[in-house]
Amino acid sequence: MSGAGKRQRLALRIAAVPMGLLALSCLYPIFFAINNAFKTRDDYMRDRFGLATQPTFDNFVQAWSRAHLNEYFLNSVIATLGAVILLMVVSSMAGFALASLRFPYRRFLFAVILSSLMIPVQVVLVPFMRTMLALNLVNTHIGLILSYTAFFLPFSVYMMTAFYSGLPRELIEAARIDGAKLLQVWWHVMLPLGMPALVTLAILNTLSCWNDILISLLVMQKHRTLMVGISALKGQYSDQIPLFTSGIVIAAAPIVVLYILFQRRIVSGIAVGAVKG
Amino acid sequence: MQKLKIVTAIAAMIMASPVLAQEITVWDVNVDDAAHATYYDHAKAAFEAAHPGATLNLLSQPDAEYYTLLGTALASKAGPDVIWANGGAQAKALVGGLIPLDDKLPDLISKLVGKSAFTGPDGKLYFIPTTLQGHVVYYNKALYKAAGLDPEKPPTTWAELTKVCDTFKASGKPACFMMANKEGYNAEFFLSEAANQSLTATQQADWLAGKLHWSDPPIKAILQAWVDTAKNGWYQEGGNSQTMFMDEFALFEQGIAANVMGLLSNVAHWKQFEKNMGVDKVGVYPMPSPTVAGDQHEGAPGVPLDGGVGYGVNKDSPNIDLAVDAVRILASPEVLSYLVNDTGSVPANTEVNTSGIDSPGLKQIMGWLATRAVPTTHANSSAAELDEWHRQSQLLYNGEATVEQAAVALDKVQADAKPQK
Amino acid sequence: MLFLLPAILLVLVFRIFPLFWGFAISLTSATSTDPGQFIGAGNYLRALDDPNFRSAMANAVAVLLSVPIFVTIPMLLAILIHQGVPGRTFFRSVYFFPAILSSVIIGSIFSVVLSFNGNLNALLNLAGISGVDWLGHSATALPVTLAIQCWSTFGMGVLIFLAGLSTVSKEMVEAARLDGAKMWQIWWHVIIPELRPIIEFSTVITTIGLLTSMFGLIYVLTGGGPGTATTVPEYLIWAAQGRLNRPAYAAAVSMVLFLMTSILAWLQIRILSRNANI
Repeated sequence: MSGAGKRQRLALRIAAVPMGLLALSCLYPIFFAINNAFKTRDDYMRDRFGLATQPTFDNFVQAWSRAHLNEYFLNSVIATLGAVILLMVVSSMAGFALASLRFPYRRFLFAVILSSLMIPVQVVLVPFMRTMLALNLVNTHIGLILSYTAFFLPFSVYMMTAFYSGLPRELIEAARIDGAKLLQVWWHVMLPLGMPALVTLAILNTLSCWNDILISLLVMQKHRTLMVGISALKGQYSDQIPLFTSGIVIAAAPIVVLYILFQRRIVSGIAVGAVKG
Repeated sequence: MQKLKIVTAIAAMIMASPVLAQEITVWDVNVDDAAHATYYDHAKAAFEAAHPGATLNLLSQPDAEYYTLLGTALASKAGPDVIWANGGAQAKALVGGLIPLDDKLPDLISKLVGKSAFTGPDGKLYFIPTTLQGHVVYYNKALYKAAGLDPEKPPTTWAELTKVCDTFKASGKPACFMMANKEGYNAEFFLSEAANQSLTATQQADWLAGKLHWSDPPIKAILQAWVDTAKNGWYQEGGNSQTMFMDEFALFEQGIAANVMGLLSNVAHWKQFEKNMGVDKVGVYPMPSPTVAGDQHEGAPGVPLDGGVGYGVNKDSPNIDLAVDAVRILASPEVLSYLVNDTGSVPANTEVNTSGIDSPGLKQIMGWLATRAVPTTHANSSAAELDEWHRQSQLLYNGEATVEQAAVALDKVQADAKPQK
Repeated sequence: MLFLLPAILLVLVFRIFPLFWGFAISLTSATSTDPGQFIGAGNYLRALDDPNFRSAMANAVAVLLSVPIFVTIPMLLAILIHQGVPGRTFFRSVYFFPAILSSVIIGSIFSVVLSFNGNLNALLNLAGISGVDWLGHSATALPVTLAIQCWSTFGMGVLIFLAGLSTVSKEMVEAARLDGAKMWQIWWHVIIPELRPIIEFSTVITTIGLLTSMFGLIYVLTGGGPGTATTVPEYLIWAAQGRLNRPAYAAAVSMVLFLMTSILAWLQIRILSRNANI
């Protein structure tokens, strides 16, 4: 090891200090949420940051039963799972095509997808709702899955395109010279190579779908999703913060667990992806 | 009366019976609140008993997205049968999508107060108010006493109020008034409380019609009072970033300030303060006016009051009659009494039995309501004017705009929102 | 081409078609209960005459100036994690947490911490510095809101850059190191050039994100105030669509915002993608 290596290790160690402080600040909201979910509304009002001295489970019981979160949970799982899988398949196919293949109007089609990323959601509320009504997709799980896919797709396609265009073209060329069909190239080469980006997308899209309020508010009044139910807990004056927070804790728990489990996949995904050189 | 109700119920049953398994959907924002639970449960039970086979589906919606959702749904003809709304600008913006209720529920309507917040430009009533919203000042008697003021003699005139605030200012702590204007609500309440006795009945009507302008002397005097009270140190520091619900009221309960502009609806009212501070520690008075109108006399107690929240019927509902009956039940005295007893709201229906409530504060308030209740000035403003007043009030409070500039900006918005022919 | 078909179909039906419809609405006087009449450019002219729209646009420009910070911080953190900073597994897990929770929770924390009688000012008072009403003054409200937005979303950026870093060859980094290159030289000459597609992606995404998804935080922290200090176009659109009941005006402002982001994104891609083969 050279002297530069030693200096680098020292620099990294020094960098770890502010990074550690930042990490602690990121842990605090989780603590804040859990702590306040156990307080009564008045306790919370009196002292927001203090420990819940007389912890109560009432918020969880009320959120779970009165606000029907038990029913809404399943709807969220179905919509999120469906949309995330669909997003991964569709966006990796599109990203592959845009980054690695040559065909007419490629730039134009890319621009169309990219531009839909910039549409502010409010401008399309009424037209989107009426489109959904006309297609008979309102209050159906498939309707919500398709809406989520359509809304989060531009981001996903763009990311996959950026990721694939960072990969060396020789990989695809080599596979094609071997006589593989495009579908096989996608399945055997691009999908495994895309793992680091796909896993990241899975996490980000899970979060977007799971935490969405506006789209599912419009599409699913009958089988509502978890976050809609939780947002409705705040009440007219947004004053039911502990009750709302207990809902957030219920909603965030599976996400946090999944994310920590996925950490390993990311690490191994990154190892798989490291092919260049 | 009882007979009539049975007749109505039977009539409704006959109308409802041909189609089974009907569902009436109600959009509201308070359904999941524990304090409101008994009320909604009773409404649902009463409705379903009156209409066998029909269900009342009460859905709570997220408050921040409520009017966005409602507007989108109504424009797409996919709204609920029964619509909850805040009185004033919000309700009035929706009347085009609703049916007028005057001919549908005449008996119920004859018992109501606070109708103006839910009346359309055609003079018809589009929502049945369930509870009222009004504004009074609550004060901390212990802090009055500690400052050497008589806790049983709250100020009745602007001069007395100024003296109270000068006393608190001289003592350094606590502040005289709580200020929570992050959302601009404190400025709304200030406007209504100060206008309460500053405007004559004619001026109130002119305000509703858009003929009394922000730059006209009676209103401009209120803007000036807003600036002067801030300049003279009536409020705690940082009022522009203070959240009103519920942080401001929690701080008032903790004694940060001696007075707070509070509500009469389901929170931040006599019930909450009496519960958290003790019945003998809370007092209430109507805000005096900085400039008393010519047809009134100084010290006369009056309260700005209007319909707070109410229910209307979607004109695209496939079951209009059933939806009307759902509104009738939600606003009926029997069902409403649960809401009043549980949350401390003041009912819009005069037949609701409030005898179970024993509060000195509420008794006083009810007395003022009976003698002189004035339309809430901010409920008679357009949504666009209120939005602009939120902004201008914050700039005025920070000293970043003059009264003159604010009045000009507000006049422009008013002329646009309430065009004069 | 067939690979692109599902994506194009979904986007056309659920995004582009409603966009054109929304544009049509922006040319009318529609409210939520009345389809209104065709008024041509009326809503656009109204926007030009609306001082709140002008402030919102000025604020949008101020927001855009912070994009480099929003991109650089996650990139540096991701490179440090990739280079093996001690505790990297922990950091990678934890940095993402603020993004998981609702902005209501983030807002409930910061509106108290930053209030005039809040924790931050108490700390400053200890150091002999007098307090500032961080969210109540026009000069500080927007920068403070942006800082909180940055803190609550940087974890996503770290994830994206970590995915991008997986395409950076370890051998090249190692070879450079053996050649005696200093750490900053390796970063500047090896790692960052390799990351260019992801940097471009992140810049465009951050720009769009700042212009179209800060509403949640602004709603709980400042409500757009004081005055119009934190009123961004997105907030204006929300108010017009909802409580002001002017959906057609909201549509017009949305179209302006759409155009603005599109031009910006196009410019950013032109500047940043010298080597991308798109």
